[in-house]
This record gives sequence, C-alpha cells and structure tokens, in this order.
Amino acid sequence: MNCRRAKRLMPLHAGNDLSARRMRQVGGHLDSCPACRRELEEYRRALGTVRSAARAEDAPDWSDGEWRAVVARAVEGGRGGRDRRAAVRGPVLRPRWAVAAGAAAALVVAAVMLVWRNTGMRPGPAVASRAAGEHGLGLSATAPRAGEQRTGSVVEQDVVSVTLVSQETGLQVVWFFRKDFEWKGDQE
Amino acid sequence: MVLAGRTEAFEPLVTLHRRPLLALAYRLTRDREEALEVAQEAFYRAFRSLGRFDASRSFRNWLFQIAANEARDRMRKSIRERAALEGAVRDVPRPADPEAGHDGREVRSDLMDCLSELSAREREVFVLRDIEELDIRETARALGCSSASVRVNLSKARRKVRDAIRARHPHLEAGR
Repeated sequence: MNCRRAKRLMPLHAGNDLSARRMRQVGGHLDSCPACRRELEEYRRALGTVRSAARAEDAPDWSDGEWRAVVARAVEGGRGGRDRRAAVRGPVLRPRWAVAAGAAAALVVAAVMLVWRNTGMRPGPAVASRAAGEHGLGLSATAPRAGEQRTGSVVEQDVVSVTLVSQETGLQVVWFFRKDFEWKGDQE
Repeated sequence: MVLAGRTEAFEPLVTLHRRPLLALAYRLTRDREEALEVAQEAFYRAFRSLGRFDASRSFRNWLFQIAANEARDRMRKSIRERAALEGAVRDVPRPADPEAGHDGREVRSDLMDCLSELSAREREVFVLRDIEELDIRETARALGCSSASVRVNLSKARRKVRDAIRARHPHLEAGR
C-alpha cells in the first residue's frame, strides 16, 4: 500500500472503522511510514478533542416541571394519535351516522318516486298498484280512492285486473276492475 | 409495560434517556431552543410509535433515530432562514475578547463549532458515530442509509473536522 491510498483510508482507520483486512493493510504501511503515522495521530487527537469538548459542553435541559409537562404531552398526544389512526383504519358507523344514512336513503327513494309519478304515466282514477292493494309489489303510482281501498276485502273472483308494463322503465301498473264496473265512456 | 398499555411506565423509561437525547439534539442543531423542541417532539413520536419498536434494538438508539429524523426535518424547513441569519451574523464583526485568551468554555464552543463545517448528513454521521459512539451499523440504521454511505460521510466528516481544528486551533492539533 502506498501513502496516497493509506491517507485516503486514514480517517476510517483512526476510528477503527475499516474491515480487519483493510486495517492490517494500512497497519502494515504505517509500520514503515512515519509521515502517515503522524497523520494518523493527528486524526486521533482531533477526534478525541472534539469528543471531550462535546462531553463537557452544557446541553440544554428542562426543569422538573417542564419535564413532567413534556412527558404528559407525549402520553396524551400519543393517545390521541392512536385514536385518530384507529378511526382511519376501521371506519365504524356510529348510530347517529346510521340514522343519517337511513334518512338520506329514504329521501332519495321518495325523490325517485316523485319523479316517476310525474313522468306522464299517471294512471286512471281506478288504478291501484300492487303495493297499494295487498299484492305487495313495487311502486304506488297514485293513491287509490276510498272505494278501492277496500280491494282486499273484495272476493277475488269479483275482480278483473289488467297489467301494463313500461318497456322503458320496467314499471308495471295493474288495473283492477270490479266485476260490476261499467265503462261509460264507450257508451257516449 | 408501556407496550402493554401502562402509560405511567413511559416516564421512568424515557427519563433515563432525557439528557442523552437533549445532548444529541443540541449537537445536531447547535441551537438550544431548537434542541428542546426536537427532543420534545422525539418523545412524543416515540410514545406514538411504541407499538412499532423492535425490542431487539437498543431503546436509546431508537430514540436517537427519531430525534435525528426530527432534527433533519426541522433543519430542512428552516434552512433558508438560518442561512440568512448566519449571513447577517457573519457580517457583524465579533467584539474583541476582553480576556487575554479563551477560557475553557469558549474553546469547547469553538471546537464544537467545527461541526458547522460539515454538511447535514456528515454532521449526523459524525455525531452518532464519534460522539454518541454508535457503531457503523447502528448509525446506518438510525439514519436510514447503508453502512457504505455512513463510511463515506464519516471519512469526509473526520477529514473536515481535522482540517478545521488544524486551522482554528493549531496548538491543539499539535498536541500542545
């Protein structure tokens, strides 16, 4: 090893931070080179001087009261931090959110029903949907009149029904006619 | 115990490391107020991150890692203001020393000011390895870099420190 290479490795050699093989190589050179030995000593002295100065230096510190406040802040802040992270990781719907979500869904359904009701598919006065009667299906296009509300109490064979299906929306409208229903329009 | 949720055990645990952590923060920042803030934030982050602490590691070194990261973040944020301030201070001529020579405290302060010759990374490596005496591997782990990178920066840092002492304190360098 020559001086140039030894000097390049000298800073690390001074702190024993080279591999064992490198340490041996540099050590072999130092045995025969007083100039490099002086340089090594210079590095070691500089490191020792700075280390001693650092040890003797007055570092800042807290008073006991300040220290307790620092620890309290760390603990309290840390707890808060964990809670926030937990909330992010596990989105749990609290009851008030569930109620709000339910109300919002109901509003949306009501709005959709209103739109459908006003799209020109208004049924005739005798119409009752299956939902309005006791047939249990779908939307109510209009409220049945007082007379039709008794549909459920009418004997089934006394009723005739006609079903209309919209090809665009799939909406089904069922017309129920009493057996004794008379369509006066044709007679006029 | 802290990991098990006993927060009252946190204080005795960190009290052991209070002064070393403050000293490290001060050596990295060279500013007393900044050091107090860095250390405070390090304790805060440490408590929050206790669940991620690898128990096979030294707790002190783990705290050092957090503090070094915090100090680096703060220095990055304030680097422009700091540069402007230091420039202004340099332009002001220092008053002559009323004493005939330096007392011990001034010499120590001057010696530690040699660290200002180093880049941020070099200073971190130098402080952790040569003053706090972490080994190369722990230093690399604390700084989130490779051992090779630590060696490169450490070599540069030691050379700069040696040169600074040679220039500022030739009597110390000569061993007198």
